[in-house]
Amino acid sequence: MIIATVTTDLNIGPYKIPGNGQNMIMNNYADRNNLIIDLVIPEPILSNELATVQWLQKDYKMSKLILCSIHQLPFKQQRIDQLLHNMNDVEFHFALEGISGKGRDFLLSCIKEVKMFQNIKIIDSKNTSWLKLYEMTKLQQ
Amino acid sequence: MDIKKELIIGKGYAVFPIEKIDVFKKLRDTFIQNINISNKLGDNIDQIRKKIAKMSKAEINKIMVNLLSFNDLSDMIINSCPTLIKRLCGSELFIQRRAHTNINVPGHGQAKVLPHYELMSGISPFCYVIWAPLHDLEDQGGVYYIDQKKSLEIMKKEEEEGLVNGHTIFNLITDQKATLMKFGEAIIFNPFVLHGNITFESEFARIACNVRFQSYNKPLLQKNTDYLKYYKLV
Repeated sequence: MIIATVTTDLNIGPYKIPGNGQNMIMNNYADRNNLIIDLVIPEPILSNELATVQWLQKDYKMSKLILCSIHQLPFKQQRIDQLLHNMNDVEFHFALEGISGKGRDFLLSCIKEVKMFQNIKIIDSKNTSWLKLYEMTKLQQ
Repeated sequence: MDIKKELIIGKGYAVFPIEKIDVFKKLRDTFIQNINISNKLGDNIDQIRKKIAKMSKAEINKIMVNLLSFNDLSDMIINSCPTLIKRLCGSELFIQRRAHTNINVPGHGQAKVLPHYELMSGISPFCYVIWAPLHDLEDQGGVYYIDQKKSLEIMKKEEEEGLVNGHTIFNLITDQKATLMKFGEAIIFNPFVLHGNITFESEFARIACNVRFQSYNKPLLQKNTDYLKYYKLV
């Protein structure tokens, strides 16, 4: 019954969260949900395959896995299939979204939601102002 | 004025009757079950408000923790007002993943929400907010709203001065009056409308809920999956 947290590259979908920030988020989530962490898994940067997690699963038989966000799930279909195969019995927890579940349907619904958010235009908040944001709404009504 | 016009070119906010009052009553019942403060009070919301008004901050915090399990709050508010929401944003939406519950306790020295506009938190300019009390609001325990024209004038002035939420906004607190409402009414407002609340005297606490939503086809600003989820209105 091993419970693990996973840190990844700091670029997590639309967020930029350093490793220690990821740990703070996941530790707080674990605390709020009465989960005791047994293992901390650092995935390498420049990767979103969760390959280390899958490799460790053979030895550690994790029952619960805590990540910061659904945006840390793999994008490529082959990698998604591997994850579904290797981690089917593991309960996934995503701290920022506050959701958890296990099995193929749950993980695929999370990946579907990530893709939906990836397809939406994001306003560049570094290059705008309050009034420009207001004007934008008038133009697009 | 029509609500959509009111939100876009009018005051920027409007009071409206909740369409599916049965869903909203169920929401209130679920709230009462989730706060789990006393079986003796039953489902009488005013008795509950009276009890909460005398609680310590720690006891109220415990209620807020109990409410974390109220996962359907967002969906229930949205499903209370389907026609209006569809008209404003269509059927495919991004809605707040976890809607807020606000408990305000009467008396000076109690926390109040300083004036602000929702955009400050990073929600999209295309987002709307529905705010609804779980009881009649007959005292000053509600929320005041500054109409869109004045809100934008202040925003413009602050932008020229290089400020956000500076003294001009802070000084708005004085002389504001909360909007009086009946149970079954809600306020919808756009993210540019300044609003806040004031300390108030009453034997009752104020309990309200609110949710943010936008069209799935409009851009996001800084809120993403941490705050929003996809939702389809049927």
